[in-house]
Amino acid sequence: MEQILATTLRSAAPLALVATAGVFAFRAGIFHLGLEGLMIVGAFTTVAVGEATGSVELGILAAIGVCMVLSAVYWWVIGPLGANVIIAGLGLTSIGLGGTAFALGAIFDRRGSMFTEVVLPRPVSGITSGFGVIVSEHSVLVWMTPLIVLTAWVVLRRSRFGLRLAAVGEYPFAARAAGVNPSVVRLQALLIAGALCALGGAELSVGALHNFTENMTNGRGFIAFVAVIFGAWHPIGAALAALFFGFADAIGIQSQINITERVPREFVLMIPYVLTILAVWLGGLWRRRSLEAEAGYAELREPDR
Amino acid sequence: MTGGLQRVVSTLVLVGVSFCLTALILWISGYSVGEVFSGIIQGSVTATGAATSSIRWSIPLLLIGLGVVIGFRAGFFNIGGQGQFYVGACSALAVSLGWSGGPALLVVLCGTLAAIGAGTAWSLLPGYLRVRFGTDEVLTTLMMSFIGTLVLQYLTAGPMRNPSGTGQTAASERIPEGFRITDSSGVSPTVLVLVGGVAVLVWLLLERTRFGLAMTLVGRNPTMARWQGIDVRRVGLGAFALSGALAGLAGAVELYGPGARLVTGFSPEVGFTAVVVALVGLLSVWGTVVSAVFFGGLQSAILFLPIVTDLPPPALVLLHGMVAFLVTVRFRAIRLRPATSAEEALAD
Repeated sequence: MEQILATTLRSAAPLALVATAGVFAFRAGIFHLGLEGLMIVGAFTTVAVGEATGSVELGILAAIGVCMVLSAVYWWVIGPLGANVIIAGLGLTSIGLGGTAFALGAIFDRRGSMFTEVVLPRPVSGITSGFGVIVSEHSVLVWMTPLIVLTAWVVLRRSRFGLRLAAVGEYPFAARAAGVNPSVVRLQALLIAGALCALGGAELSVGALHNFTENMTNGRGFIAFVAVIFGAWHPIGAALAALFFGFADAIGIQSQINITERVPREFVLMIPYVLTILAVWLGGLWRRRSLEAEAGYAELREPDR
Repeated sequence: MTGGLQRVVSTLVLVGVSFCLTALILWISGYSVGEVFSGIIQGSVTATGAATSSIRWSIPLLLIGLGVVIGFRAGFFNIGGQGQFYVGACSALAVSLGWSGGPALLVVLCGTLAAIGAGTAWSLLPGYLRVRFGTDEVLTTLMMSFIGTLVLQYLTAGPMRNPSGTGQTAASERIPEGFRITDSSGVSPTVLVLVGGVAVLVWLLLERTRFGLAMTLVGRNPTMARWQGIDVRRVGLGAFALSGALAGLAGAVELYGPGARLVTGFSPEVGFTAVVVALVGLLSVWGTVVSAVFFGGLQSAILFLPIVTDLPPPALVLLHGMVAFLVTVRFRAIRLRPATSAEEALAD
């Protein structure tokens, strides 16, 4: 049981970080399906720069930088160039997955995966029995995740920027009338999202593991996106949803070890998707308006194709 | 330039720009541009079996892509092709394994109908929520797609698992050889006639029937369509149903064609790629045929690259992503002169 809880935290932390990124994008009215791509770029850059410089801090800073640059390009394509948010986001994901796998071969001449010695410190480790197992062996980023989520909540709820973001996401026309440039606010939100995705990716490669593997995010970016919706685009809700996904993941890992008591893990994993459909449906019904207006991305949608 | 020609040219330019950007990245990494292009050409056309493989990969992309075209015509964004494709394949598999002693023609027919039914059901639920309650279909089709992926995972790892199978990925039992409509290359006259027939039928439906016209009107302006006396909900449901049916059919073709059994997470990208295929094909039936062959060739090249050249396959995944990233850019949005304040206000 302690082991399951420890695994839950370990799986949930990167999801929660990326889901927080998704919350910022969602609040700005952007359905960000490029989270997966940014996450794997973050994971790769941390390992690559970490190996080159020998410093994990520099690796993470570089990852944040690269992901922010990619986010800015994404903003440019969907904003000023008017591309479809969802298609461009999926494209960004493919670019991230293909680009990192390619760079692994081109820069380090490796195929598949790459081991690294440069990893994040683990504040508490070495506890092998009792409840201590739950908190043992987590990287410093796991410990920081609740703090980051709370900060995100405060920023969204209490800051001028958070208010502007809400205005842009819910009704960009009003935001513009109030003197806020929606385009600039969207860029800021996407840059924050990029930085958080980089942290999520870094936790995956140098926090939980000691390597970078092709396609190591394995759909986590999309799961984080679902966590955003499931958590009602609230940072704490999204983090709790991420915790749930982490728990489902942990049950899966445990039941694979314990093959006789096989829990149909797939059914556990289906629950959040089913609940999300229900929530989106009932949410729209209850408030008498569609989610489209809620997310306000209608204006980003192309009118004729 | 007329509007249609302008769109064709702008799409070709964007695909060209994606090629150039990818070639630039590869050139910086020390590969020659010629090598990239010869790799793509060899992997999709000239290498032994490459042309067949290109057609094999364009078939699911075309079927699912046509479904996406139908959805877009009526103004709906069906992004859940992957899940519809999976549940279609699973239903066909269930029928074929459950009735493996039956007459081949009948079993395959029933299996295909089951696949079409399952795909339809998988997209009708989001469709119903959309037309009845206005629930956003991008989210619901995406969720249904994830659920479909889990259904496949469950069936191949659980009830339909081939117990003698080894290796990392779970796979189902094989269907009897007599049920298959192609060999493992995935291309045979039967399949080509079937897929060609479907494309012609979709074209007839969209361009030559009352229902097709109604869908186009609903997609352009639902309010006006309603005032014209069109039952918007019925047309919307019809579009969703057809869209899912085509993806389900693609699943059946995959099983009875090249697959013969289902493997967890097979063809993982076709659902999303099909959306790009439909957009590159400018949401027209024949454009989608051309673009499906193009992306099928790219997919085949990804598989063939290790054989024909030392260019790594992820390079083409990168190219693929680049096309998706840029293909919906609108040239009208790029201005040479600054927008007037009135235009700017209207843009947001």
